Amino acid sequence: MSLPDPAPLCTGAEPWLRLSRRECLNRLGLGLGGLALARLLARPAHAASAVGAAPGGGLHFAHKAKRIIYLFQSGGPSQLDLLDPKPLLNQRHGEQLPDSVRGGQRLTGMSGNQSSIPIAGSPFAFQRHGRSGNAFSELLPYTAKVADELCVIRSLHTEAINHGPGVTFMQTGAQIPGRPSFGAWLDYGLGSSNDNLPSFVVLLTKDKKGQPLMSHLWGSGFLPAKHQGVRFRSGGDPVLYLGNPAGVSPANRRLALDRLRELHEHQFAGTPDAEIGARIANYELAFRMQSSVPEVTDLRGEPDAVVDAYGPDARTPGTFAANCILARRLAERGVRFIQLYHQDWDHHAGLPGGIRRECLQTDQPSAALVTDLKQRGMLDDTLVIWGGEFGRTNYCQGPMTATNFGRDHHPRCFSVWLAGGGVKAGITHGETDEYGYNVVRDGVHIHDLHATLLHLCGVDHEQLTYKFQGRRYRLTDVHGHLVKGILA
Amino acid sequence: MLPAAALLASRARLLLATLAVVAAAAAEVDFNRDVRPILSDKCFQCHGPDERGRKAKLRLDTRAGALRERDGQRVIVPGRGAESELLLRVLSPHADEVMPPPEAKIGRLTPAEIDALRRWIDSGAAYQEHWAFVPPAAPNLPPAALRAGPDPRNGIDQLVFAALGRRKVAPQPEADPATLLRRVTFDLTGLPPSPAELAAFLADPAPDAYARAVERLLASPRYGERMAADWLDLARYADSFGFQVDRDWAMWPWRDWVIQAFNRNLPWDQFVTWQLAGDLMPGATEEQRLATAFNRLNPQESEGGSVEEEYRVNYINDRTATFGTAFLGLTLDCARCHDHKFDPVTQKDYYQLFAFFDDIDEAGLYSFFTPSMPTPAMWLQGAQEKETYAAATAAVSGAEQALAAVAASRWEAFAAWLAAHPDGAGLPGELARFDFEARLDAPPGAKAPVTKAMEAAKLGHFASAVDERHAANTPAENTPVPGRHGHGLRLSGDHPVNTTLGNFPRHEPFSVALWLQAPAARERAVLMHRSRAWTDAASRGYELLMVDGRLQWSLIHFWPGDAIAVRTRDPLPLGRWVHVAVTNDGSSRAAGLRVYVDGVAAPLEVVRDQLTRNITGGGGDTITLGERFRDRGFQGGLVDELRVFDRALTPLEAAEVAAPGALTRAVRAPGARDDAALLAHYLAAHDPEYRVAADALRAARARQTRLAEEAREIMVMRELSAPKTAYILRRGEYDQRGEEVRADTPEWLPPFPADAPRNRLGLARWLTAPDHPLLARVTVNRFWQALFGRGLVKTAEDFGLQGERPLHPELLDWLAVEFVRGGWDVKALLRTIVLSHTYRQRSTGTPALVADDPENTLLARGPRHRLPAEMIRDQALALSGLLVERLGGPPVHPYDLPESFKPAPAGTGDALFRRSLYTFWRRNGPAPVLEAFDVPKRVVCVARRDTTNTALHAFVLLNGTQFVEAARALAEDLLRATAGRPEALPALAFRRVLGRDPDATEAAILLRLHREQLDHYAREPGDADCYLTHGSRPADPALPPVALAAAATLVNTLMNHDLFVQKR
Repeated sequence: MSLPDPAPLCTGAEPWLRLSRRECLNRLGLGLGGLALARLLARPAHAASAVGAAPGGGLHFAHKAKRIIYLFQSGGPSQLDLLDPKPLLNQRHGEQLPDSVRGGQRLTGMSGNQSSIPIAGSPFAFQRHGRSGNAFSELLPYTAKVADELCVIRSLHTEAINHGPGVTFMQTGAQIPGRPSFGAWLDYGLGSSNDNLPSFVVLLTKDKKGQPLMSHLWGSGFLPAKHQGVRFRSGGDPVLYLGNPAGVSPANRRLALDRLRELHEHQFAGTPDAEIGARIANYELAFRMQSSVPEVTDLRGEPDAVVDAYGPDARTPGTFAANCILARRLAERGVRFIQLYHQDWDHHAGLPGGIRRECLQTDQPSAALVTDLKQRGMLDDTLVIWGGEFGRTNYCQGPMTATNFGRDHHPRCFSVWLAGGGVKAGITHGETDEYGYNVVRDGVHIHDLHATLLHLCGVDHEQLTYKFQGRRYRLTDVHGHLVKGILA
Repeated sequence: MLPAAALLASRARLLLATLAVVAAAAAEVDFNRDVRPILSDKCFQCHGPDERGRKAKLRLDTRAGALRERDGQRVIVPGRGAESELLLRVLSPHADEVMPPPEAKIGRLTPAEIDALRRWIDSGAAYQEHWAFVPPAAPNLPPAALRAGPDPRNGIDQLVFAALGRRKVAPQPEADPATLLRRVTFDLTGLPPSPAELAAFLADPAPDAYARAVERLLASPRYGERMAADWLDLARYADSFGFQVDRDWAMWPWRDWVIQAFNRNLPWDQFVTWQLAGDLMPGATEEQRLATAFNRLNPQESEGGSVEEEYRVNYINDRTATFGTAFLGLTLDCARCHDHKFDPVTQKDYYQLFAFFDDIDEAGLYSFFTPSMPTPAMWLQGAQEKETYAAATAAVSGAEQALAAVAASRWEAFAAWLAAHPDGAGLPGELARFDFEARLDAPPGAKAPVTKAMEAAKLGHFASAVDERHAANTPAENTPVPGRHGHGLRLSGDHPVNTTLGNFPRHEPFSVALWLQAPAARERAVLMHRSRAWTDAASRGYELLMVDGRLQWSLIHFWPGDAIAVRTRDPLPLGRWVHVAVTNDGSSRAAGLRVYVDGVAAPLEVVRDQLTRNITGGGGDTITLGERFRDRGFQGGLVDELRVFDRALTPLEAAEVAAPGALTRAVRAPGARDDAALLAHYLAAHDPEYRVAADALRAARARQTRLAEEAREIMVMRELSAPKTAYILRRGEYDQRGEEVRADTPEWLPPFPADAPRNRLGLARWLTAPDHPLLARVTVNRFWQALFGRGLVKTAEDFGLQGERPLHPELLDWLAVEFVRGGWDVKALLRTIVLSHTYRQRSTGTPALVADDPENTLLARGPRHRLPAEMIRDQALALSGLLVERLGGPPVHPYDLPESFKPAPAGTGDALFRRSLYTFWRRNGPAPVLEAFDVPKRVVCVARRDTTNTALHAFVLLNGTQFVEAARALAEDLLRATAGRPEALPALAFRRVLGRDPDATEAAILLRLHREQLDHYAREPGDADCYLTHGSRPADPALPPVALAAAATLVNTLMNHDLFVQKR
């Protein structure tokens, strides 16, 4: 068994730190079967931030999107009140939904046993905006202003009817927990894209009620744990134990780390084990992160005009608005996948008040992020996604009054928007029936969306696989078709 | 041969000829080693066991399939590679011919692979059974094949040395004593050796010093804790339910059982049998039943609106998959939706195994509104509690007998009463009667203001005719209609008729009667209930439902496993007014429930008859008609005249309620008086002595109920008396039932024992039979993995065709055979391994050897790998002297739980210093320190952990409270030990933390480190004071802060050294 010349350490580090390629791969958990292998072997020396092996970046072919910012709206925002206007529902408001529309669709245990299901029209006015004529409800005045940057998909559909499985499906391609998340797949396929920050960062709007989120949503599933998302917290250290404990100054920490490094170098000389080499590199990375992470999360240096554009919440750490600014800063510093979560869109009752509140918190920052990226010339290679795990029913759940009603979960169709990153701007893709119940044209399954997102990042969803328990797994399982209609 | 194929053949023949030359000198081809991996990896996806997914009806995983003649030609012609289409196709340069096809995106075969196929076909295309499916046979132990080097110590060494000899590689010499003791102490107890143990070992020149150390470690109670940690990953043990709601559950008594089972060395076949089927063992002990909690550790859901059956099926899938991974080393889960693509597991095989695990009375959702343990559950009572409960049960029996005796003695009093009341004496005990006549705008007689919500719902109110403190109300959607008497209500099905009474405990006799009219037969409809919800409260309370058109009357603690329920044999009459009365006699037995239809006792069948705990709690404390949270209401049903009694109506009384006058008629019936019925009425309603005895019985039962509520419960397996029918679920979907199947094992594994029961106990017997090819191999492989960081079969979870082949198959088989022959003795197995030279070798090797064999598959070096998360944290606690060595008990919250994704407050006192095994494990937010070092979330069965090396580790070890405090605690000890000799401190610190003495270079670095820190903290005494405040244990005020802070920094730095996290 002979090995090729030692290649540089995968994480990119001092040249004397040599790891065999095989060990490097084993450490990454790729083994020789992993298809990401090709890219790793092809990576040029010391090019830690090189992206992909294919010409033009990407893993299998040129990428359009170098990074993704996913503004996940957890709970299932009502497409009928935001992005998919249905005048017929207003005309038939209060009438029973005809059985023919439902067509045997299974309902949740929440409204499934309801004796009547009256149609609920939207109390919010819709208008077309921009040259594209994309339609938005009055709840999204800021989003409407960037209408011509957006690709609205109205024909997304899923199989899940409850939040746990629904969000898990959207984020991992399977309803039952245990699979790697989208960001983990991307990190596994494309590798790290910067030296000082994790390549997959998760930000949650703080103090939100609503359906709980589960950490497996950004977990690595069966992929090596290094690919899991790193959640930046809004209070205290953004990363667990990032800060030195009281009584340890940076200078003194540096001093101790220098001695640790000497001890390790000595240990390595006697025991030339790559683990020790990696360890030395990791302590240096950790030291750098102690300054790079606080730097990126500190928004005080942002000009007032920029912060103001993200809305009144933007100065409060942990709000969706502040997280949108942080997302842009992370994107600027080479973080590849930035996952935001904003909870509390689950409006089974009290929908008019609830949805208005969530829109106030998310509409302006989401639009500002698109504008900000565009102004910085980053929108072309940054893909922004806005949407939840499923839609909401066109009929009312619970009591319906003149001013109040609720909508149940609806998997058959829902709307999301995308912007930048190689997606057609100013289009609406797909169509639902006049009741807003079923997809009638250009349906997009979650697997299709995943395949397309990977494609935009230069990854063939059928080729990015990982062998686990005897089977090659991929994000899209055995499904997924490219949604060519939305590619620029 | 067809023209196209002929052309293809000629194209490829040339290539074949070339290859033949290249490979002329190649060695003999072995199907399992050289050929099957290629076929499995590249061909079986389309030409394997999955019949439905099979392309071109070609099957390559069996010889018959591969050799079958197809259209006059054969894919494989034994002995003639050049004529075999298989080779022509893999060599074809044409996209429409080549195999695997480009669209499969699994790449072309390499020349070496093609050559292996050619040589295999040329040599006759012999198939072998997959190695793991053939029972292991003890290999002959070869004589030592090494020319020089150590002598083999046991069979492991004989086999390993022979293999090394063939490769002309020599094993490493034995590791130095300090390293070896550290290695084996971690491996067997999960902790480092204490300074005293190390000193004693280094000072012991006896040849058996090491063997004695091993015995000491195997006998330590810490051994069971260390071994349990690995099993908990497989068992997906956690302290919470998982899924979205992820509430706490108390399953830790099972975890303690695992620790104890290891400590007392329960033979592995028993360990497995108890967990799989302890409840089914003859005369099952409490401990054996407790062990079956293993099967209930699957994550469970309670998210509102989830489909109950979908999750119930999920749980059984989880049990089946766990069985496959943990005991068979097979990935059964693939066969849920279709036949396995690589292994011979058919979908039918899967559901036949599934059928072993579904025969328990469980619900797919646990209760959101109550803290109940899902059923089936067993009680965990201490000896004292058991005794008290037995006495209470005896008191209930005594009171029941006393009541019966009183009843039998009251004929004279009865006769006197009858004579005094020639018209009967009415029905006492009526608590409320709502006739729904006068609809009021405000609650009758109530002081409470009418709220906006009540106004908005346009609530109508009704007074009770017998006790005006009680009232009923309904929103306007339930509309007035002509009733049985006067007005009644038509129910919308989505809106309740609420009352203000009805919160009866299970031991209180009571009755509810009403008139109702059902428009149609329903599969399910809620007529009357006292409960918060259906699945969201596990139906806690009581309920009268229409189920499949019949009436079902139930008292429920947790549906379905802790409840009594009866159902009428006859359907409920439709389209007319029917009087229904239901009664409970307080006995908690199905026999104590009655349903009267139009005043006549309805014939009943028992649906459930196991109520062990109370039915109150969870909310929804009053009787409600026609609607329930997330349940199906009584849409379009009519109701009238709801009456509630605080005792069980007798049959005669039920007739009276249905048709007033029945009682008077019964008393007056000339010549045909039914004295038995009248006596029952008399006793229940009017006899003072009977009332005294009934009250005594009620009090005895109340006490029993209270004690029952106090008993801690744990989920276990309890087989239903009649097995459920299992089906093949098409595409794995819970509602797509196909063919019926019975519990069975796959036919390609040993046959199910003919005399074994078709249940989990039989399954355990099948599994633990000495010639089972998988269990022993899979088990010894995992123990090998625990010690070496890598199994002999690397894919510890997959021994199937896609799993990795063992590099030392003889060694695996020898260990497996010895393990079974020695009585499945785990300690003996571990002893054999750790006493071998193979284990005791130095873990370093020459650069060439390390480069050639980075994973140490050859075993030419000793084990070396990063310590598991638990050992890293436990090590810090052990070194600092903070570790609390107490076995078992409820889980604890260490310092980092407030930092968890699902934060929880940190514990206090000892809770902060327990072994990591006892750290509270929430599936949605495990302890961040452990997570940083790769513990799985324990959502699914995991046979192998990942070991990463990331920058995040540095933060935890440098800055984490647990480690900072532990470093300081050890520093205090070091300062005291080196009082007056500060120059001795660095070396002693090194030895204490890393288990060996520093060499000269290290000593110099340490000295400098120490001096720098002393200087630094002398300059910044404020920093020193701050640094000593971390954690809950105050620093020793007698020690100088500057010296202590410097020593603590030194220790903390060493806790970040390679040797601290790496076993070498």
